[in-house]
Amino acid sequence: MNKNAKKRTVMRRVLVLILSLVIILPLIPYAVALVDGPGAVPNPGAQLWNEVRQRDGASAGVSQVQAVDGSVFINPYGERWRQFRMQQLVPIGGWLLVGVTAFIALFRLIRGKVPLEGGRSGKLVPRFSVNQRVVHWFAGTIFVIEAVTGLVLLYGRFVLIPLLGPEGFSATAAASKEIHNLFGPIFPLAVVLMILLFLRGNSPNMVDVKWFAKAGGLLKGMPASSGYYNGGQKSWFWMVVVFGIAISGSGLVLNFPVFGQGREIMEWAHVVHGVVAILFITASLGHIYIGTIGMEGAIEAMTQGYVDANWAKEHHDLWFAEMEKAGMVGVAPNALEEVKRHDDIDFKGFGSPGAKQKEG
Amino acid sequence: MFLEFVEGPLWYIALTIFVVGVVLRLLDVFRSGVRTDLAPPRREGLGGALRTLVTRSWTAPGFTRGAAFHLVAGYMFHLGLFVLLFFAAPHVLFIEERLLGFGWTPVPYWAFILAANFAFAGLILVWLRRVMHPVMRRISTLDDHLAVILTFIAMFTGCMALFQHHDSLRAIHMLTVEVLMIYFPFSRLMHAFTFAISRSYTGAAMARKGINA
Amino acid sequence: MPEVVTEHNVERGKEVLKSQIDAKIASYFSSCVHCGLCAEACLFYTETGDPRYTPIYKVEPMRRVWQQENTFWGKLGKGLGILKEVTEQDFAEWQEMLYESCTLCGRCSMVCPVGNDIAYMIRKSREAFAAAGYTPEGLQGATRRALEIGSPMGITLHTLEAQIKHVEKATGWEMPMDQQGADYMVLFSSMEVVNFPEYIEAIARIFHQAGRTWTISSKAFEATNSGIQIGDSGIARELVSRVVNAAEELGVKYVISPECGHAFMAIRWDAPNLIGRKPNFDVVHILEVLDQFRAEGRLKVDSTTDERLTFHDPCQIVRRGGVVEPQRNLMHMVATNFVEMPDAGVMNWCCGGGGGVSAQEETEELRLKVFERKKRQLNAVKPDRLVTACANCRIILEEGLEHNEMDLEVIGLTELLAEHLAEGDTAAK
Ligand code: HEM
Ligand code: SF4
Ligand code: SF4
Repeated sequence: MNKNAKKRTVMRRVLVLILSLVIILPLIPYAVALVDGPGAVPNPGAQLWNEVRQRDGASAGVSQVQAVDGSVFINPYGERWRQFRMQQLVPIGGWLLVGVTAFIALFRLIRGKVPLEGGRSGKLVPRFSVNQRVVHWFAGTIFVIEAVTGLVLLYGRFVLIPLLGPEGFSATAAASKEIHNLFGPIFPLAVVLMILLFLRGNSPNMVDVKWFAKAGGLLKGMPASSGYYNGGQKSWFWMVVVFGIAISGSGLVLNFPVFGQGREIMEWAHVVHGVVAILFITASLGHIYIGTIGMEGAIEAMTQGYVDANWAKEHHDLWFAEMEKAGMVGVAPNALEEVKRHDDIDFKGFGSPGAKQKEG
Repeated sequence: MFLEFVEGPLWYIALTIFVVGVVLRLLDVFRSGVRTDLAPPRREGLGGALRTLVTRSWTAPGFTRGAAFHLVAGYMFHLGLFVLLFFAAPHVLFIEERLLGFGWTPVPYWAFILAANFAFAGLILVWLRRVMHPVMRRISTLDDHLAVILTFIAMFTGCMALFQHHDSLRAIHMLTVEVLMIYFPFSRLMHAFTFAISRSYTGAAMARKGINA
Repeated sequence: MPEVVTEHNVERGKEVLKSQIDAKIASYFSSCVHCGLCAEACLFYTETGDPRYTPIYKVEPMRRVWQQENTFWGKLGKGLGILKEVTEQDFAEWQEMLYESCTLCGRCSMVCPVGNDIAYMIRKSREAFAAAGYTPEGLQGATRRALEIGSPMGITLHTLEAQIKHVEKATGWEMPMDQQGADYMVLFSSMEVVNFPEYIEAIARIFHQAGRTWTISSKAFEATNSGIQIGDSGIARELVSRVVNAAEELGVKYVISPECGHAFMAIRWDAPNLIGRKPNFDVVHILEVLDQFRAEGRLKVDSTTDERLTFHDPCQIVRRGGVVEPQRNLMHMVATNFVEMPDAGVMNWCCGGGGGVSAQEETEELRLKVFERKKRQLNAVKPDRLVTACANCRIILEEGLEHNEMDLEVIGLTELLAEHLAEGDTAAK
């Protein structure tokens, strides 16, 4: 069928995109690490030491230990990873997090809460189904648990030791590590569910370009047109996909060292995991801000499943027009349940040529 | 000190309240009795009771789609919890040392991790549906939420204490489990026992009418 | 004679709610995990999306009484005055939920993961609402007519006799009234007597062919029991006793329940419990009798139809009554092109008018709305004719079909069989 064919092309494009990003992403930290790499000034006295430290790569010896990397005397990459973690990841990541938080605060000071210009109309427009909302908060819950425990492990020794003392931090860190490792494998499930339930309507188009050109309509007096999702939301969705896959993949490599992955692979996984985590958390700050206290009328979409008609009109005018055409503005609070039984009512529009009403 | 208290006196208090409470609740259910059905049955009820006890673990024909969410998330949680509860190595040890005097083989570490993943994912999913779905929202009571939250906390602290080097973490887990045990007989959690009674009653009544319920 | 309670009396209602909580219900409330799955089984929820129609929510007053009487927190909360007792407003609101939006179809009871028989709880809740006088007027009227006149529709022996005359004329046989010692005593529903007298003729012809003796009692020919629907056991007992007494007086071996769902429930399953003993006869549904005749070779047809036919299973006869295979055997006997609707059989969807819902005018809008489910079931198989075995279902189906401008004839299974009876035996003049 036509609908299926369309779905398939979209899926194919998505797949290509995901694949290319997954390939490119791990190279970023590699590049960062190389720029700061060890100097190349020759020093004859260091030759032996270089040999011992295996600066030119791991040279395996012979050992009775039957394990992956069991015959490597000293792992030369460990030091490079340590340096990267302490000298780039921790400080740069820290500044990024603080910087973005400050930026959001600044935005808040200048713009204030984005209000509903037209006030509340009292009319409901259905936006997210029960399953979508459940999956969203599922992903959100796991994400927050992982982010908090992850940040404890990354920054705890700077932030928490002064607060809790070494004893307290030791217990906190141990607990965080266990929680982080236990909840970690749930995140891939969340990401897959997110992709399944939110992919529809998230393919980029020209409307999004214009939306970005107008700074997303977030500035006063400069409204930007948008369909079901705007450019910002679509970007966030694709970040969830790409970061989600990268962080899940690298996390699994780290969490289950039973598939023959050696230290070098683990080290790379560590780098990817750390970098993506910082980027992911940073981006989520913006999303969480605008989804909760930053914009009037947004949170209901994800709690109740409905938004106020004026919110839809002001932030998603094109979608609102379609919903109006489909008679989906000002519906009863059980509308979502009621349309469920009509599989062929496209109650969201999604930029398709108007919602089809079935009867017969 | 704290650890000694939660592992000593409080543990016995909690265990007593749990056992006595559950027994009293079950007695209370039967107290009111059921009138004997005088209508000549098509079949005897006992077979139906046993049958429904088993068959209600799956959905009625043609109902799998409507129940898919609960089926998947529900089983993820309950099976995960079951494995954690009775087959996690520290639990088996505890049962052997403190309760029964004998133990059994615990599941390997990877199975434990998997069970924990399923249990947490399932619990979070069903609870989110509870707060999102209009039907569940309408019929849920404070008790439902408390039960979920206490269970979650008990599981969560258990995982925190997994790296068994900190007595404080272990004590916290003991405490939350004891709170859960004390809450159990007074709450919705009783369904873990009474579901068998409900299924049997319904299965028997329906079997007498000739229906496999 | 018991009377229909019309005076509101909340205290009495609460007392009865309490007294209705037996071990089953205590177990059901203890077990309910508030998962909401029962809603997915109930056509009042699936067709409206209104969470108020969740089956277990319909017994909320009873749950609150249970909570306050049987649980620790409930007793504490009640003692401290935190938990509100069931009030007048609650009774008024739940009257609508218990009577207008539940047909006692029992579909919910088939899906509850912890095994709760929610339809049973609803039936028991109605007992309290009837005692408290919180019942719909339509049902009150029907019940009063049943008590006073002998039929919820107000028909009398005269009406029946007039219809019997027609049948006697058409067949040329005398109808057996009050025949002592007949094998079978046949009952009717008012609906059949008024709207589908063909049923009476069909019975006459089939019994003639089968060569079994049967009779109609002039004292008790009405099978329906409004007491069951309104939920008043006292009234139900009175009504059912009339049938039991008449049948025992005539000394029949069997009493046949007609093509009516709740009548079968009343006489077959409830009567012994209402009168406190097993009557001196067996109760069988007409479909069971016909299937038995078929198996014994007493029921012969000389033609079949190749029309596309489907069968609507009446809830009280099938899911709640246990008659599942007979109708299928009989359908196959006369229809070469018998198709089943999705969910047919034990999990069939209610027509939307059972349990006294159709006795209330104010339910029409809701009834037509929930008929959407039947419509989709029918559209899935697109039959030429729709067969059923309950006169009430039949009326509701016809109403819904007409409202939806669906051109589909509805017919009772007994009549369908009579259409194809082997002529040689029955065309007596
Ligand atoms: C915990 C704090 C969070 C809050 C308060 C929050 C809030 C929201 C809200 C209100 C929406 C609806 C926006 C709309 O109406 O279109 C939304 C959508 C969404 N959320 Fe979240 N969210 C949180 C965490 C997360 C996390 C951790 C993820 C990723 C794993 C996530 C992924 C998404 C996606 C992909 C969408 C749909 C696209 C969009 O609207 O941006 N959210 N969120
Ligand atoms: S399906 Fe059963 S357990 Fe679930 S809400 Fe309904 S009655 Fe309660
Ligand atoms: S008995 Fe039927 S109509 Fe009544 S609540 Fe259950 S499913 Fe709904």
